[in-house]
Amino acid sequence: MRKILLFVIVLVATFTSNAQDSIQKKEKIKGRFFGGVESNSQYYIDDSKLGDFNYDNHFRSNSYINANYNYGKFTAGVQVEAYEPNALLNYNPKFEGTNLATYYLNYKSDKIDATAGYFYEQFGSGLLLRFWEDRALGINNALRGGKIIYRPTNEITLKAIYGQQRTGFDVANSDIFGFDSEFYLTDWLNFETSDLSVGASYVGRYEKIDEADLENPDFNELTNAFGVRVNYSQNSFYLNGEANFKSKDAALSLQNTISNELVKSGSAYLLNFGYTKSGLGVDVMLRRLENMTFLSEREPERIDANNTSLNYNDKILNYVPGLTKQHHSNLANIYVYQAQYQVSYLGEDKMKSGETGGQIDVYYRFKKGTSLGGKYGTRVAVNLASWYNLPGKYRYFPREYDTEFFGVGQRYFSDYNIEIKKRIKKNWRTGFYYIHQYYDKSLIEGGDVVNADILSLESTWSFQNSKSIRVEMEHMWADADRGNWAGGTVEYNFNNSLSMYVWDIYNYGAHYETDKNHYYNIGGAYRFGASRLAVNFGRQRGGLVCVGGVCRYVPQNTGFTLNFSTSF
Amino acid sequence: MKNIFVFLICLTPLFINAQSQMPNVRLKNLDNDYKNVYEDYNKKDKVYVFSFWATWCAPCLSELESISENIEEWKEEVDFDVIAVSVDDARTVKRVKPLINGKDWDYEVLLDTNQELKRTLQISNVPHVIVVKNKKVVYVHNGYVEGAEEELFEEIKSL
Repeated sequence: MRKILLFVIVLVATFTSNAQDSIQKKEKIKGRFFGGVESNSQYYIDDSKLGDFNYDNHFRSNSYINANYNYGKFTAGVQVEAYEPNALLNYNPKFEGTNLATYYLNYKSDKIDATAGYFYEQFGSGLLLRFWEDRALGINNALRGGKIIYRPTNEITLKAIYGQQRTGFDVANSDIFGFDSEFYLTDWLNFETSDLSVGASYVGRYEKIDEADLENPDFNELTNAFGVRVNYSQNSFYLNGEANFKSKDAALSLQNTISNELVKSGSAYLLNFGYTKSGLGVDVMLRRLENMTFLSEREPERIDANNTSLNYNDKILNYVPGLTKQHHSNLANIYVYQAQYQVSYLGEDKMKSGETGGQIDVYYRFKKGTSLGGKYGTRVAVNLASWYNLPGKYRYFPREYDTEFFGVGQRYFSDYNIEIKKRIKKNWRTGFYYIHQYYDKSLIEGGDVVNADILSLESTWSFQNSKSIRVEMEHMWADADRGNWAGGTVEYNFNNSLSMYVWDIYNYGAHYETDKNHYYNIGGAYRFGASRLAVNFGRQRGGLVCVGGVCRYVPQNTGFTLNFSTSF
Repeated sequence: MKNIFVFLICLTPLFINAQSQMPNVRLKNLDNDYKNVYEDYNKKDKVYVFSFWATWCAPCLSELESISENIEEWKEEVDFDVIAVSVDDARTVKRVKPLINGKDWDYEVLLDTNQELKRTLQISNVPHVIVVKNKKVVYVHNGYVEGAEEELFEEIKSL
């Protein structure tokens, strides 16, 4: 550990001397130092309305230093992470203390890209394998091992990986193997107006099964997963498809344990097609997932009385986001869908084996000078999404199911929305959003079936020297759960670097007076070059915090937040 | 360990704005061709504006929209190109093409689907703009407010 730190310091020192050299001889920059720093800290306070802060340490912070050095074809880097004195609320408690988190050495030439150490990767759309980092969600599931990418020609890409998956400051107890290939066939087939590429991948997970845990398992210690994909486009039309298969493996029980009770294979199909031309875009996405939980360790690790590693998005090999539109209205983010790719028997009327459904997006621009377009044109975006359980026969005990490929089962979630954006004057822009959501909370996190309608109006006025003010008013009508909500945001930009905002959302429609809360926030941000400093004071609404279709549960809390990030 | 960490954090102001060039990273564009962000944007004295954005990022869309409204006029004054680098991942990346066409934007789009470039540049938030001339990074800015595109253009002109 100490040695590695010394190594970092030597790197830093080398850079400093190098940077001075490079100023003197501008033409010959050989070595290059780059990286970034990010620090997110929060001071939690006792709130007379929401309740006291019932955890250790009111002050908590997550910080990251990433430093890399490039010399010709070689690049080496480290990331050090500090969770002092604890990680922010509801981040994985396995992120503890200050330690070296990742390190790598990479060699990159025209044809070969090889990495030893920790690396990130994704095969296809990630339904079988994705190693990535998202600090807002506390995800860093990089693989520690080796990776080689070989591109013999511009048309062929081959990848091979091996390693163990990161969890906390450690790695998971299994071996992951992967192979991916992609072939660009357009030139080979002499296509002139169309484009075709195909790909195939394999992911293997070898995890020894301890006899003490399960004797004579009905499945292999090595789980194999295969995928094929195709990308095609012709003029304004495009089509992408992906089919994935995962070999027989134990499906987790409600207590997150494995047994021989239910041993099933899994599958994931994705079909996407669309038509686009100037001023118009149409996109259709269909997806069917069955039993697609794919973890680096079959049994999730128990972290505390209420949580396992799954609650912290830890030890997950694949990436299965909820396919719905990401709204920016505060109220439209209260009921957010999480993909239901797992087998989960919550009750005799709540037996799930996956999800099926789709979404459609339409973008249209009314041209300038037309009656609907006005002087500046009008932009309309419509998105319709609906997701369902898989249809079929289900047995509660002992667990069994037999699904049908086509058709739908119980509905989990729908989101139908329209967005209209119009510039009225040179310095006045407006936005109108209407969103209808159906959310069967009972099937997903427990609770009511909710029908919600959200209306949001947004206006931005701009003045000279990059001064501008943005006002957003929103309202949600909901027939269950926490009832109706109202909200408003005012944001003022002093210039290109400094902004301030205040916003509040209020569930005035809650059944009991004591459940009605204002979740207010006030803050600002200062940006300079690649640096950003932001402060916030306010209340965090309890519930799911979602980024990119992946969610993390956060209890409601009140406090001061300070974020700093920069890159160099 | 902790002390060394604090020490390293304190060192960072020394390096701010020391970013010298784009990294040697290849990304696919919407025509399925690979582009190297360091090698392939190298015409002498031409200015390249790399704008990092995502389909779900409202200020990013406002920024690209504002640039799009002015780009023809600006190009008459300065030789420059805008490269819109989408950091959308598998969840939303399929929206990029219909959105770009639906909005009638004429940008070259690169797809950074597993955030290789974003991570290499340690970009925490989008929008984020990096301006490159003669293979050197000459201007960086993050965030967008109404009217900031004028300042960006003034920067480009002054290079």
